[in-house]
Amino acid sequence: MIDWVWLAGHLDAIVYRTWQHVYLAALGVAIGFAISFVLALVAARYRLLYSPISALAGILYTIPSLALFAALISITGFSVVTAEVPLVMYTLVILVRNIVAGLDGVPAEVLEAADGMGYTRRQRLWRVELPLAVPLIVAGLRLATVSTIGLVTITATISDAFGGLGYFILDGYHRLTFLTEMYAGALPSILLALGADLLFVRVQRRVTPWAQARALEANS
Amino acid sequence: MNLVTATAAWLTNPAQWAGQFGIPNRLLEHVLIASISLAIALLLALPAGLAIGHTGRGAGVAASVANLGRSLPSLAVIAIAIPVTVLIDPVLGGTVLPTLVAMVVLAVPPILVNAYTGIAEVDRDLVEAGRGMGMREREILAGIELPVALPVVLGGIRSAAVQIVATATLGAIFGGGGLGRFLVDGIAQKDDGQVFGGVLLVAALAIATEVAVGLLQRVARSPGLRRGGRGPAVGIAPPPPVLGL
Amino acid sequence: MPEQAAHRAAIVEYQHVSKSYATAKLPRSAPGAVNDLSLTVPAGKICVLVGPSGCGKTTSLKMVNRLIEPTSGRILIDGADVAGRDATELRREIGYVIQQVGLFPHQTVGANVAVVPRLLGWPAARQRERAEELLALVGLDPALYRDRFPAQLSGGERQRVGVARALAADPPLMLMDEPFGAVDPIVRERLQNEFLRLQAELAKTILFVTHDIDEAIKMGDLVAVMQAGGHLEQFAPPAEILAAPASEFVADFVGADRGLKRLSLTRVGEMALQPVVTARAGDPAGEARARTFADPFPYLLLLDPSDRPIGWVNQRHIPGTGTLAPSLATPMSPLLDRRTTLKDALSMMLDADVQTGIVVDRAGRLRGVLTVEAIAAVLRPSADPEVIAAGTSGAGS
Repeated sequence: MIDWVWLAGHLDAIVYRTWQHVYLAALGVAIGFAISFVLALVAARYRLLYSPISALAGILYTIPSLALFAALISITGFSVVTAEVPLVMYTLVILVRNIVAGLDGVPAEVLEAADGMGYTRRQRLWRVELPLAVPLIVAGLRLATVSTIGLVTITATISDAFGGLGYFILDGYHRLTFLTEMYAGALPSILLALGADLLFVRVQRRVTPWAQARALEANS
Repeated sequence: MNLVTATAAWLTNPAQWAGQFGIPNRLLEHVLIASISLAIALLLALPAGLAIGHTGRGAGVAASVANLGRSLPSLAVIAIAIPVTVLIDPVLGGTVLPTLVAMVVLAVPPILVNAYTGIAEVDRDLVEAGRGMGMREREILAGIELPVALPVVLGGIRSAAVQIVATATLGAIFGGGGLGRFLVDGIAQKDDGQVFGGVLLVAALAIATEVAVGLLQRVARSPGLRRGGRGPAVGIAPPPPVLGL
Repeated sequence: MPEQAAHRAAIVEYQHVSKSYATAKLPRSAPGAVNDLSLTVPAGKICVLVGPSGCGKTTSLKMVNRLIEPTSGRILIDGADVAGRDATELRREIGYVIQQVGLFPHQTVGANVAVVPRLLGWPAARQRERAEELLALVGLDPALYRDRFPAQLSGGERQRVGVARALAADPPLMLMDEPFGAVDPIVRERLQNEFLRLQAELAKTILFVTHDIDEAIKMGDLVAVMQAGGHLEQFAPPAEILAAPASEFVADFVGADRGLKRLSLTRVGEMALQPVVTARAGDPAGEARARTFADPFPYLLLLDPSDRPIGWVNQRHIPGTGTLAPSLATPMSPLLDRRTTLKDALSMMLDADVQTGIVVDRAGRLRGVLTVEAIAAVLRPSADPEVIAAGTSGAGS
């Protein structure tokens, strides 16, 4: 069933495509995170802006990714931009919502105490609100990263230059459904996604020591 | 602009609206495969989710399953399904069936999770009152928990539906039908009008699905529960904040 | 900061302060509004703002640290208008304690206590030292609590940390908004008592808001009773509020049991105690018997060798010969100490269904007894005015 010869001969390509996959995903999430951070701070401060941002985000999230990639080809051609813009957009959609929700989740009395003790607005944001928003932010990053890894496979439809491991899936299919190659793309991409998920679970745990402490208390 | 006129030309071309490869037919294909997989996913996930929410057992397993499902790259799932579905039917197994399998696999998690969290979040006092009155477990589930949890459950179905429409679009890559065909063919033929026309159609279908189920959610919320609590936003709602369980 | 150390307690003055929430559409007097409030809180005293919901007491409090800005009037701290200062700097010099506490969940207890010192730029070692000092002061073992997180603490413990946090930078003024409202009555009582003890040591100026008149009377050196709409009805020491309410509203708010409330102003330590016939366990019984019969009060109080009470013995049960055995004594009357208020003492005696309470010192040794009649005498108009006046300093003594 499995063509070991092919696999042996294409190890380099697989490694390359894996790195490409990680690179494209990381780039998308990083840029997306940076933009959503700014957008979320703006939306949290100027509430009126939040509705339109939120509505736009909702529409974008609903549109199937293939459609977004395809649409961009006509505009930005077969370039990295075409691949990255939708990746960044989907990341934005998830993260803006989560960051705002995280900031909203800070209890009112904590904010009042912070003000009463003499924190400036900026100090309050960075020392109190954001740290407390971290759990939701990390949860958002987790979902964003995992979905972006999935979306990178679809970038293979733009051109052979992209796709990460998705390249093998499409290429294999076009070679009369060459299963070995298709699996060489599919399995590692799934492992990549699951691996990222597990990584973030650990990050989540480390980043909220106070939640762990409470869990310990509850058990003791 | 070139793009706009090309798209408009494509969309208004009567040839596009007739025949096997025309818009209506593709739309039908898309809706058909989407409905079938939604039905299967509902059959698999809904009873399980409701049962887990009601009894409280198996939530951990369900959460892991849901997590797993959520993480899987859709294209990879379709690819992996192929050798299996080919055994069922050599022709369809290489085109439509793997996509169908993937659609079901990816739709199960949101339905499952929303079903059991929706039921689990129903005020326990209501359940206890029902038990106290002598209602049987099934009656409690159907008569108390489900009506109250319906908006949340439908929210999961809404996510699943949108996910299914998206995955069906991908199916065109593997020789399937549906509106995705316009995207794939358009790219291959470098026909911008077709690509953009396809984009608009796909987007319209996806948004329409979201809005339709959203309306259903709103209607399903009992008038007695309308005040207070989370209300599903009609229209397009961005994904709710992820709690990362 | 040398200037800060010099004023350990500030004088707070409200000058015709008003806060209006009126807009074109809303009615003139919205809940929380304040109307022409003028009062002066002397240094080192606890001033309690009390009144029904929406009477503007919290608003008045928050105008001091400018969490709310007045519509008109001025608030002066040690003669300086608060509006003239930068708000965040002002707040770092005022301790602020709120009902829900608002501890930062993501920081340890120690870090929470050290918030203001950290904002002020104290060196890390000094921050740590101060945090531990304060935790000990509020009754929490620093070694145990410093590295815990707020979620691991009970409501009472959290409130103590809140107080410690407010005291961290040694502010001359503290604002407290229903600080003990979120805990159950038993914990609340303990926290109130401990806070009063703390205040006796620290002597800070405290502005305290509550809706509970009993708490106001117990805690306050001065009480400001406010009415809905933000009007000040009466500003006076608690004894005066109880003895001479300035208006019908104040009389109603205080409650029909004003007389009984006055009892909470006087403590057992201020009362003259009565002697009682006593004997130690092991003493000859006959002699004790004779002394008991000679006294109008028909009971003997049996003590242990350290003069700690064991219980009452009815004169008829005292044997004529032999020694007194501890088993002769019946179960105890309630034990009172100097600090117990007359109200609590009376309550305890009524619960135990006795007429006489035994007063002991801190080591548990007998000091004398207090009868229900003696307590009732305090309520009579002819009661010694000095005893009643002593109630005003009851908060600090």
